[in-house]
This record gives sequence, structure tokens and C-alpha cells, in this order.
Amino acid sequence: MATGVLALVGTRKGLFLLRGDDDRRGWLADGPLLAGWAVYHATVDPRDGAFYAATNHIVYGPTVQRSADGGKTWERSKKIGLPQCSGLTVNAVWHIEPGRPQEPGTLYLGADPGALFRSDDAGKSWMPNRGILEHPTRDRWFPGAGGLCCDSVQLDPGDPQRMYVSIASAGTLRSDDGGQTWLPVNLNVAAEYLPTPYPEIGQCVHKLLLHPARPERLWQQNHFGVYRSDNCGDCWERLDQNGLPTGFGFPIMIDPKDPDRAFVIPEKSPEYHYSPNGELAVYRTGDGGRTWQEMSDGLPRPAWAAVLREASAFDADSLYFGTQSGSFFALADGDTWVEAARHLPPILSVEVTQWSR
Amino acid sequence: MVQVIVPSILAAQAGGRQQFDVEATTVGEAMRALPVADLLFNERGEWSRHLNVFVDGRDAREHGGPACPLAGAHEVLIIAMLSGG
Repeated sequence: MATGVLALVGTRKGLFLLRGDDDRRGWLADGPLLAGWAVYHATVDPRDGAFYAATNHIVYGPTVQRSADGGKTWERSKKIGLPQCSGLTVNAVWHIEPGRPQEPGTLYLGADPGALFRSDDAGKSWMPNRGILEHPTRDRWFPGAGGLCCDSVQLDPGDPQRMYVSIASAGTLRSDDGGQTWLPVNLNVAAEYLPTPYPEIGQCVHKLLLHPARPERLWQQNHFGVYRSDNCGDCWERLDQNGLPTGFGFPIMIDPKDPDRAFVIPEKSPEYHYSPNGELAVYRTGDGGRTWQEMSDGLPRPAWAAVLREASAFDADSLYFGTQSGSFFALADGDTWVEAARHLPPILSVEVTQWSR
Repeated sequence: MVQVIVPSILAAQAGGRQQFDVEATTVGEAMRALPVADLLFNERGEWSRHLNVFVDGRDAREHGGPACPLAGAHEVLIIAMLSGG
């Protein structure tokens, strides 16, 4: 039986499925599925294998679509909305996070404007989280270029009451009561565009990840630096020294086997969203962010690439990312990048899973 | 009975169907009878501002929008904005 890696590559014009061999050197592309939709995020539910896609269209608006047959057919969610009394409407859907194994049918959805939704019927309908919607600090949240996007939802695998969201630009919020109340956890995280550079709230988190083997450890790529927390976000340490060319970037990846390993893709600065000096590279730390090393073997040079916040993925064996110029890269043999596809539409998101036939 | 024609992206969301025969007295009723109605209206029930709707060649926005009457009409043509990247 053939096995390998299946990458769900969301683009501005639809979803592509890329099947790679076990060595990640040979790839086949299928798509576009959901043609015409901007797929901000697509993922596989590890509990039942269903695909979910957070799709947006300038005319038809935001929706979530689910496929139970590997992308052949899709079922659309009921209209996703916010209470009229909030004065808010959903601008875009950003990130889908399947729930824990012990809560089948439950999923979470991050959206713009700074909204979190929960589904308990496998994505057919979505209810807004009132703790986020009515958060007392909301008047200090403000949108970035991508809107007021809730781009990360992370669930503590060991504590069913604990979860995190990150919103640009509100920062990271933690719930210890199953999502009823939310505590801003942004101590020592910079927001250099504000008069107070280290505020309680208002940070621009680009991506937040929890380490599954050490759930109290969080990593984030921020508008202003790369950070790690070892105490559930209570305080953060900035890490973008000692080898990183810049602290700016969007995605972040981790090694699920080793909490000290993380990977970022630096861009020049908040003003210039492309590879510094035309040198596209992933940077790796193996010591919790104290030092960083370049991983660029196989990547094109020069390249002024831009990699968006959802456009990277990891599994136990490798790393993957896609660029706004439509190239998709996979790490083969641990240290060499392979361009698995090129000339796709601008890549918005990447997730991976195993496949077999 | 009026025939409603939708763009291809909506047809893909409706199992491949691009034409629908519906009983309706207004454009809004006809649009709400479609299996893709949720994609034509925002969560406050308003038309997307990027949609154009023509009733037998007449712009429905200039004839009451959703209230545009369909008496004697044969075709409702829904067209998405054509600009953009």
C-alpha cells in the first residue's frame, strides 16, 4: 500500500490537494477544489478524516465547508453570524480548529471581527463565543491589514477547560473555564505601534502554537518578534536575537517531538513583507529560541517571498510552507527543501496529514 | 414561474445547477427560494453590494431591489461583480 503526505493547500482561488511520497520528493497536485473561493484555512479533522475549509468570497461572503469524501463533495455551514445587538457582522472566517478527541463533532472557528465560534454538530452551525464577543477590552482591539482576525485557536490537550486564542490586534487570550471568560496574557509582548509599548491588550499576534507534549509551553510569531512562554502565557520571553535576521514574520512551526525546536520564516520588516535581502529561508532553533540557524538548502535565491500566517505546517517528520507567489515547499531528508508545486494561485494556508491508498 | 440563473461559483454550491424555476412575486422571494440564498444575503438580510440582479434585462436595484415585482417576468439573472483580481 502506497503511503505519503497529503497537503491541503488553500489559495486565493481555491483548494489544492498535493500528494507527496514518503520521501517528500515526488508530488502530484489535484485541484482547484472549491474553485473561486479564497481558502483562508483548510484542515483535516483527525477524529474522522473530514476536511473543513474556511472560505471567503468578496461577493458571497464567508462560510465554512465540510467534505466527508476527501474533497469530492462539500456541504456548506448554515449562515455564520453575530447577534444584531453586537453591531458587528462577520467579515471573514480565518481558522478552523477541530475539538478534542473526547468531544466529537465539536470544532472552533476563528473569525474577523475578533470572533470565536463553536460548532457542536460537525460544522453545520456555529455559535459565537460571548466571552470573546463581549470582552471588556474589546474597545482597545483594532484590525490590521488582514482585519481583526482571530487567527489561532489552541486547545490544551491535558486540561479540557483551558484554551487560547490570538487575535490581531488584541493579543493572546486564555480561558481556564472552557471558554466562558478570557484573560489577556501578553506580559512582555511588544506592541511598538502603541504609545505604551507593552500594554495589557492590543498586540498583533501573527500565529500562536501550543506544544502538545508540554502544553504550558507556547510559541508565537508576533508583529514585533518571536516569543516563547513556559507558563501558559503568564509571561513571555522575546527570542529574535542570536541568529535571526529579523523578528518580523507570519508563520511559526514546531516539532511535535521536541518542545525546544521551533521554526520561523523571517521577512524584512513590518513595512516590507518579503524575504530580507532576497534570501528566503526558514530558521530553526533547537534550544528553545536561544539560538537560530538558517535552513535554506534547496530554496530559490534570490527570492522576495511572502509567507502568510496560515501558510506553513508541520508533522512529526517534516515541515511545509507556501508562498504568495504560488510555490509550495516541503523539507525532504531533514535538511533539503523541495519545491513540490509552483505557479499555484497565492497560497493562503497549508495543513498536512498522512494518506494511503 | 420565473427562471433564475446564477453564476458558476454559485452553481457549484448548488450541486452543479445553474438554472432554477421558482414561484415568486418579488426578486427577493425568488432569491430566497434558491439553495444558495445564504450566499446572496449577508447576515442582516441585505444583498451583497457586489451582486447585480436583472429582471428580463432591467436592473432590479432601480426597481425596488428585493421588492422588485416579478409579475409577467420570465428571467432573473444574477451576476457577480466582474472586477477584481
